[in-house]
Amino acid sequence: MENWTGTLRLDVEERQGKTVAKNVYFQGALKVMRPVYHDDSGQACYYILNPGGGYLDGDRYQLQFSLKEQAKLTLTTQSATKVYKTPNQHAYQETEFILKKGSYLEYIPDPLIMYRNARYKQKNVIRMEQGATLIYSDIITPGWSPDGKQFSYDQLQLMNEVYMDDELVMYDHIKLNPAVQDMKEIGFMEGYTHLGSMIVIGEQTNAELLDRLYQSMDHNEQEYKLGLSMLSVKGFTIRVLANKTQTIERIFTEYHQLISEEWFNTKPSFLRKY
Amino acid sequence: MNPNILSLFQLCDSNLPTGGFSHSYGLETYIQEGKVHDQATFAKWLHVYLNEQLIYSDGLASHLVYEALENNDFQKIWKLDRMLTVQSLPRETRDGTQRMGERMLSLVEALYDVPVLSEYRNRIKEKKSFGHSSIVFTIIGHHLGVPKSTTTLYYLYSAISSLIQNAVRAIPLGQTAGQKTIQEFQKELVKATEKIKDLDEADFGITSPGLELAQMKHERVNIRIFMS
Repeated sequence: MENWTGTLRLDVEERQGKTVAKNVYFQGALKVMRPVYHDDSGQACYYILNPGGGYLDGDRYQLQFSLKEQAKLTLTTQSATKVYKTPNQHAYQETEFILKKGSYLEYIPDPLIMYRNARYKQKNVIRMEQGATLIYSDIITPGWSPDGKQFSYDQLQLMNEVYMDDELVMYDHIKLNPAVQDMKEIGFMEGYTHLGSMIVIGEQTNAELLDRLYQSMDHNEQEYKLGLSMLSVKGFTIRVLANKTQTIERIFTEYHQLISEEWFNTKPSFLRKY
Repeated sequence: MNPNILSLFQLCDSNLPTGGFSHSYGLETYIQEGKVHDQATFAKWLHVYLNEQLIYSDGLASHLVYEALENNDFQKIWKLDRMLTVQSLPRETRDGTQRMGERMLSLVEALYDVPVLSEYRNRIKEKKSFGHSSIVFTIIGHHLGVPKSTTTLYYLYSAISSLIQNAVRAIPLGQTAGQKTIQEFQKELVKATEKIKDLDEADFGITSPGLELAQMKHERVNIRIFMS
């Protein structure tokens, strides 16, 4: 099947301290805006757009991002990804990220909003070289329904595969079936509505950083519940169950800041959404 | 009747010294939070753990490893060993299964002479593989000529019954309540084994958020009798 609703490809490289596009290509219902440089670090920030305004029945999207040695890139979306009802065929998106040695990627998309009776499958494949750094996050909301009912979508499947020097080092597979599972129950969403995930991979990872990240939060379980754990390579994952997108965004922004300061002595830029 | 069934049954015995008694796979977090406190709340958690995590990891791996053994596709076994390890994001659970896998491997190596086991051992020594009891167990099941689905069923039984024994100590539950839970889960295990037959590699490693978060949080639980 090569019938893509939208395709997007962006290759960036470092030229005299500045990250610039080597190749940009998009077609159909996906595009990127011109890069924004938030400061003088040379780090480029690209906003991904879905001009269609949402994913429809049977839509298929393919994205590829590649970062050459030392390139520094922030990727975000302009607004939430919305998946509308899919009566015949689930919507699908696959994204490949290629990170060469010394490159740095921040992928911070807006939340995912699934509409009533929507089915969506997303696959991210991240191929890193030793010495590259990744900060990835995503947020899943309970979706939207005209009657205000939460979790009225049918199925959501998210897969993240991370390869380090061609070896699989992380495999993350979440599948929620609110059509047949009770999301409130123990083991599922446990009374919370939003799920946030963060994947951080970088050679500077150590146990003290994880302790600090954990201790920097108040862990008010009325609002959210958070777990974090070291991967089998230098990196870690964070999961947050919460009741609001903003709660997860606040935690992830704070963590992002702590990590940037500790690893690069920099402050992440505020990502303005127009 | 295949007399070798008893030999495989030996590996299901909770006295088998692989360290299963020291892992709760996040259950202890729920016990500390007061969410699991009796037979009913425990059975509910166990049901979710079996059907939303274990069948997609250990269970499906057992099924696929058995198939790979039938096809002499050893590369597939090593691939599954890696997938089993890296799909487990909570460190304690990942390290725990790895340690148990190694211990089970050492133990069965003393009991059986199977070339693929020695290769597994060498790969672990050379850090090319990690080690997992589901794979070791399945290699023995296949070696003994026990059918595929029986091997998977026995593996699930050993994992679940050892968790039930841990729950009896930790919650605590009475011995009778523990045995009742084991009895209650026999039907569930047969159903789970049937479900695994209909899965394929694309279903591998599925987990549900709450279970996983509790396994991550266990690292920071104050008083703990389990290592995961």
